Amino acid sequence: MKCWGLVLALGAVACVDPKDKPDLVHDFRVLGLSTERPELYAPICELTDEAIDSLRSEVTFRALMVDPNGQGRPIQYTLWACADADDTTCSDTANRVKLAEGSTNEGELSLAIHPGDTTAEDGTPLLVRVKEKDPYQGLGGVRMPLVLHAKAGNEEVYAQKLMVFWCPLVEGMKPNVNPTLPGLRLEGESWSASGVPEIRGKGPFVLQAEDVSALQEEYIVPGLREYQQAVHLKESWIIAWYATFGEFSPQVTGGTDFGGQAGRHRTEWEPPEELGEARDVVFWAVVRDGRGGQSWVSRRLHWSP
Amino acid sequence: MSSTLHARGALLAASLLLSTAAPAAQQTSPPPEAQKPAPQLTKAPSLLQSVEAQYPAEARAQGLTADVRLLVTIAEDGTVAEVKPAENVGHGFDEAAVSAVRQFVFSPAEVDGVPSAVQVEYVYHFTLTAPATPEGQPAAEAPKPRSILTGQLISRGSRSRVAGATVRCGDDPEAPEATTDAEGRFSLEVDPGECAVRVVASNFQLYQTTETLKPNETTEVLFYLVPKGSAYETVIRSERPKKEVVRRTMTREEIQKTPGTFGDPIRVLQNLPGVARAPFMSGELLVRGSNPGQTATLMDGVRIPLLFHLLGGPSVVNGEFVDSIDFYPGGYGSQYGRAVGGVVDVATRKGAADTLHGSLKADVLDAGFFVEAPITDGVSVSAAARRSYIDVLLPAFLPKDDGKSVTVVPKYWDYQLRVDFGARSKEAPMPGVARSTGYVMAFGADDQLRIVSSGEKTDRDLKIDTHTNFHRVKGDWTYRLGSLTSVFTPYVGLDKAITNVGTYHEVDTISSMGAREVLSLELSRALTMRTGVDVYFDHLTSKVEIPMPARTEYVPFPGASPEAEMLHERLSVNGFDGGLFWESDLKLGAFTLTPGVRGNLQRVHDRYNLALDPRLWLRYAATERTSLKGSAGLYSQNPDTFQFITLPYGNPKLGYQRAFQASLGMEHRLTDVLNVDVTGFYNRRFKNVVEPGQVLPQEGGGVVQERFSNDGVGKAYGVEVMVKKERASASDKVHGWLSYTFSHAEDGRAGPMPTIKDPLFGGEGSDNAYGLSPWDQSHILTLVAGYVLGNGWELGGRFRLTTGRPTTPLAHRFDIYRGDGNEFEATRGAYFSARTDTFHQLDMRVDKSWQFDNWTLTAYLDVQNLYNKKNTEFVFDDYRYREQYKVPGIPILPVLGMKGSF
Repeated sequence: MKCWGLVLALGAVACVDPKDKPDLVHDFRVLGLSTERPELYAPICELTDEAIDSLRSEVTFRALMVDPNGQGRPIQYTLWACADADDTTCSDTANRVKLAEGSTNEGELSLAIHPGDTTAEDGTPLLVRVKEKDPYQGLGGVRMPLVLHAKAGNEEVYAQKLMVFWCPLVEGMKPNVNPTLPGLRLEGESWSASGVPEIRGKGPFVLQAEDVSALQEEYIVPGLREYQQAVHLKESWIIAWYATFGEFSPQVTGGTDFGGQAGRHRTEWEPPEELGEARDVVFWAVVRDGRGGQSWVSRRLHWSP
Repeated sequence: MSSTLHARGALLAASLLLSTAAPAAQQTSPPPEAQKPAPQLTKAPSLLQSVEAQYPAEARAQGLTADVRLLVTIAEDGTVAEVKPAENVGHGFDEAAVSAVRQFVFSPAEVDGVPSAVQVEYVYHFTLTAPATPEGQPAAEAPKPRSILTGQLISRGSRSRVAGATVRCGDDPEAPEATTDAEGRFSLEVDPGECAVRVVASNFQLYQTTETLKPNETTEVLFYLVPKGSAYETVIRSERPKKEVVRRTMTREEIQKTPGTFGDPIRVLQNLPGVARAPFMSGELLVRGSNPGQTATLMDGVRIPLLFHLLGGPSVVNGEFVDSIDFYPGGYGSQYGRAVGGVVDVATRKGAADTLHGSLKADVLDAGFFVEAPITDGVSVSAAARRSYIDVLLPAFLPKDDGKSVTVVPKYWDYQLRVDFGARSKEAPMPGVARSTGYVMAFGADDQLRIVSSGEKTDRDLKIDTHTNFHRVKGDWTYRLGSLTSVFTPYVGLDKAITNVGTYHEVDTISSMGAREVLSLELSRALTMRTGVDVYFDHLTSKVEIPMPARTEYVPFPGASPEAEMLHERLSVNGFDGGLFWESDLKLGAFTLTPGVRGNLQRVHDRYNLALDPRLWLRYAATERTSLKGSAGLYSQNPDTFQFITLPYGNPKLGYQRAFQASLGMEHRLTDVLNVDVTGFYNRRFKNVVEPGQVLPQEGGGVVQERFSNDGVGKAYGVEVMVKKERASASDKVHGWLSYTFSHAEDGRAGPMPTIKDPLFGGEGSDNAYGLSPWDQSHILTLVAGYVLGNGWELGGRFRLTTGRPTTPLAHRFDIYRGDGNEFEATRGAYFSARTDTFHQLDMRVDKSWQFDNWTLTAYLDVQNLYNKKNTEFVFDDYRYREQYKVPGIPILPVLGMKGSF
């Protein structure tokens, strides 16, 4: 080879094989965060008392917390609402509000909260403070960071979810709804939540999501360059794949690249080269709609070498 | 044996050596600065007055004879400035020859029509003959029959004509001898019978053969002389006087044979002082703390728009077409602008004057050719072209799968063509008569990359198709009249870039034209002035169809990649950048003072940028061998015209990037072939263009972020050391250099960081306003050496030892997870408070040449990283930012190449 630095550089990077990979869940993790509803809409776009009052509704905060080797240990958690999306640990005590705290176990945590009904230490509505700290001045919605601090044993995670408060800045805008996967397929067969199919060997085994194209919403957002310019978009869902054993290729499916080329929700799962013993393997597929909506499904199978 | 003493000399007129002694060089008139190197010998010196040497008595008594090869430095007035034996023969011959030649007087040599000091090789023959005919013996009455030996001398392996060689029969000093002309031809009238032909030529082995000459007949012969040393032809030129504080010149042979660079003309510069090591085999020139893109790379004075094929591949400058490269790491003259780092000026190769020459070369990636030939008297042409064949080979290595179709087609080619007029005229310039020389050159390159992946077994149908090319045509007209020299260089260019990725289509076209005019006037021996103008105009059009990008068209949501409506844009921008410059060399005794100034004006849209760059050099010749030098000045670099396109894809309010550069140093010639140069430098860069710029609220409620801004600042200081051993002659076996740089480089932003820090179109943002440069390397040591083993074998090595680049360590205490984008965030320690491991690597190269009568075949094996050191090039974090992983550099990499030349 002659001076083909770029190719060699890419090749060298490809040769680095980190031990810890995102698709293999082996310790305490937060895999997904969602709010039901993902967006709250105010009828007017100035953050007046009237507008804020309309945003005080209750929402359900959910977190998918997994701890496959925790043997049921307790998980301590605290949920904060903050003002600055870059304050990922919600450390600004003057601009945060505790929404919930407690102890739970692995699985799905579900909390009823009122993030729109919060004020900073100086009495300013937290929504106003969030907008002040937003470099886009609310043109992408007022995105309030909800930070879940979860601790299991010595493992500690600060997990942030943006709760979107919006208003009809341009004509045609409407609130988002969470994406829901219609189902998964394993080696071409439907894979239900209740079934535990058995598979054998090195694979790879093909996993797919049922067709979601009809579920992906078209939506409108304000443009940045011109006042009241509308930009038309369509959701392109992204699924992150996880398992307690083996690895995926690719680890994430879907989405659209900058050339508009959309991905298919097809991935391949392989057990490790050192096959090990037969076991039950838990799978998760977390779907994101790219505008704050999120949900997940879980499946189980029995694998034998 | 009775003996008559004879000591005679032969001047090898074409044997101007590569290096000229420094004192002589400093007396020469400087060549016009805008012109590239490669001054030509337009008039060879001829011997006007000789002095016979004293034959050493002891040698005479023993009946010894000798040929003493001398290196003679002839001053510009024709007197002998210095004489030394090239090789000692002993027995008192060396001393006797030196003593005699010191009293010689020559006609002055001329380089580019100007009397110049040169160094020549001179062979002094000491021979013994039979006793003279006794007096009174009657002479033969009848005329003797004569024979004529005529022919041509040709360099074995390259077919170059050997000029200035002496041809005669036997060792008889009274025998007639002939000197070959520029075509290598000779004609010798001798007695019939056996002729023990003896051919002496500089840089060639002694040629001896026997010819039987019949009475009154002409015998025509063709002799192939074997070059000494390397198989490659030695470039013949005199040395240019050095005025700049630092100018490092790499010859073609150095470029082609430096181990580990694969003959790449740009990458070889990374072995010089002041240049930081770029990761992997990247060719980025990181000069004295400057960033990539801040060093201008020119080909015969015209900027090369794209340095490397396929981004990081081979450089578009074909090594075969390069004559030499001048590298100015800083403190360069006012004629150079548009750079705040260094300047690289590639001099292309003039066509051969004697006959057709050429070469064919092939390696794993590409194959190419080079040809050069005279067309008529004074007109020569040279051309080169290269084409990759990866697109042919790669499919054999791509995986084949029924449900997956993958096509990868990388392809590149480039070309260079040059036609010279007047430069090779056989007519010597007449004093007081104007003389014009010139050339027309064209060069260009074309890159294509196509990647298509589809099929039911893929997770995405992917189609990427890029095609970029550029073409340049330039002229050069040099006019000389007395002490006035004018160089006019117009050029035009066309660049095109086509990108297709799915529904994204972009076609960018840049049409450009420019010209330089440099006037140089030597008012007296103490004062030379240069002035000129350097203008550039380009017209950019861009046609874009793209799904509306986030950040510029709407507020992105973390991790989102939606399908977006299409954006259709047609952009057009005109850019002008002009420079007026003046500088003057003022000699005051041992001091040479060069003040200069360059005024710059850029206009794009309605934006006017002005910058005034005063510069000053000072050189003090402390002794004949030692000079002290210093410089200080301001430098400006215009932002590219495309950077001025409207917000948010550009910034129409950009201004000049600026830098202050200062240096102070000393150079000393330890011997005629061993030089040492020590230079300290301090650079301060300001108003540099960085990405992204500030976030600007718009009237009516919109928000736009500048893509670029002039917030960049940086500084660097350090010391460079260069010790270089050149080859004294073709028989000198060792050459190389030791380069060491100590430096400290900082880089960052002045003023507040933008509230949105990530670049608009990818790349890594930084939370830090200012700190160490990511390219900072405190110590950079490079040792390059070559050794001519003989019999066509050459061995070269390069060893590099550098400090690792700065890295920011992780300080993980807990995971930080941004759930919307499904990505983690790092908790880091102090910015750039750690470094990668020290880098060291040894590269070796072996060349073997086989010389045939009419051509030479060369095979080379270049081995990168001979002892397979796992050097850390980058450090990657794991997905949760808990651990860091070292990305190793290139493992041991042997490369085999072949080259045939004639």
